Amino acid sequence: MVKSEQRQAIEELVYRSCLALDARDYKAFLALCDEDFRYTIATYSPEIRREMVWLDHDRKGMETLFTNLPRHNSDHSPITRHATVYTVEAKGAGAEVVSALQVFRTQLDGGATELFAVGRFHDTVKLNGAHPKLAKRVVKLDTRLLGYGYHIPF
Amino acid sequence: MAKTAAEWSAPPKFPATHYVDSRVYTDEAIFEEEKEKLFKPLWIIACHESELAAPYDYRLFSHPAGVPLIVIRGDDAKVRAFYNICPHRGNTILYDPAGNAKRLTCIFHQWSFDSRGNCVDISRAEQGYQERFCKEDAAMREVKCEVAHGGFVWVNLTDDCMSLREFIGGAMDILEPYMQQPMEVFHYHKARVRTNFKLWHDTNSEFYHDYLHYFNRITGMMQPGYFDRKYTGFPNGHATVGSMQIQYDKYEGSKERAVGWPGLQPGGWFMVDLFPGMTYNLRTSVMRIDVSVPLGPNEVLIEFRGLGLKADSEEERRQRVFDHNMIWGPFGRNLHEDLLGVHGQGRAMRHGTDSRWVLQGREENNTIHDEIGMRHYYAEWSRRMGRPAHHPA
Repeated sequence: MVKSEQRQAIEELVYRSCLALDARDYKAFLALCDEDFRYTIATYSPEIRREMVWLDHDRKGMETLFTNLPRHNSDHSPITRHATVYTVEAKGAGAEVVSALQVFRTQLDGGATELFAVGRFHDTVKLNGAHPKLAKRVVKLDTRLLGYGYHIPF
Repeated sequence: MAKTAAEWSAPPKFPATHYVDSRVYTDEAIFEEEKEKLFKPLWIIACHESELAAPYDYRLFSHPAGVPLIVIRGDDAKVRAFYNICPHRGNTILYDPAGNAKRLTCIFHQWSFDSRGNCVDISRAEQGYQERFCKEDAAMREVKCEVAHGGFVWVNLTDDCMSLREFIGGAMDILEPYMQQPMEVFHYHKARVRTNFKLWHDTNSEFYHDYLHYFNRITGMMQPGYFDRKYTGFPNGHATVGSMQIQYDKYEGSKERAVGWPGLQPGGWFMVDLFPGMTYNLRTSVMRIDVSVPLGPNEVLIEFRGLGLKADSEEERRQRVFDHNMIWGPFGRNLHEDLLGVHGQGRAMRHGTDSRWVLQGREENNTIHDEIGMRHYYAEWSRRMGRPAHHPA
């Protein structure tokens, strides 16, 4: 059982991770991550009846990705991540956290907002006292049709 | 000096074979004609055989001409294709995009078909039809179907079409040596983009746009051998692009693709563009296949597949998936850039914008920044459409 103050800290961790990535503040996002952090985007394809991995990096890989992205041509429309923490379950010295995720994209010209993707965060959190860290994040996407796509991980 | 309206509308100072009128990308009537003249009579990739591994495995495919298809492996292991339209009341027979079905049963009135397209059951047939209509009258519509060129399932809607062998000709010769081992699809996704399907094929048919890709500039354009890559045109509008040695380790976070591909030189990269909208892309360790399914003159659904070898170990497959995702996945560096590029063309060329011409005038001895690949495509387009692409009205 996770104590209520621990759950509160974990929920804040999840929400802060969204705020950091929404702001493209990669340094702030990585500050929320453990040294052994691993990030994966996965989804299931009913078309080929297979689980697929669309992105998979350790912490070093994420750092490199964030360094490289400004060198590329990307869609500049901001996206907004909305997470709702559903479950927090104690596991060893950490917790397994499942959150609902909706991602909205707002067009720069005119500001129209559209639902971009839905899925779930499956996070493994290390409980560092009052400062929990993300040890692992698997973004399980339900949405697979992403138009011309996006460079920044959800 | 910037152009006046008259100067903007004047034909470019190139031979007429070296530019295209923008209306070929926006005109509704031209698009409807393309479905009849380009997609209906030609061979199109519906899926890969690895998606139909077992008897009765099926896969749905929205044919670019507009026809919904079921591709199914029969009880005899043969792959066949049928309209996904019940001959009774025109309903959809199968809904899920893939599955396994010994019987193809329409949920509407429970008419049932086998994997060879025969009708095997009509609910209360005798009571309703007496001797006037029976199962033999109610077979599914079968379309031509072949498995070839790396295990892909090709379909053709026209009964008296040219053979697949004649259609492809020698265009796949450059890749056949590398497709001797069974392949397997590990990645599939679609992208729906507000652009014309030919603009996606154009992007796959010219490398001058490598300026769009930081990854390609670093690992390719700035490396020896890049400007030696050559285009070769083949009958029926197909074209190939020769290989070079990509320096993957020049991009931070990337590295030499050690897993490679049987018989392919390290860092090798071949492409085959097939008319009217398919591309084979063997890039060192991964095969990518694009199939364009146009939804309108300014909207296309592109199917992307990533393939490895069926014999891959777990580690080899993991590495191929990583290599694929680095540039070609939905979050990959290059695919997003390419899709943004054609999305931008779709914005600028949509009906009424006064976009007039698309230039294809670069001549560099058929090497990598020559626009011969596109010119070759539009020569075939003009032949099949019975009008020149530079003056389609």
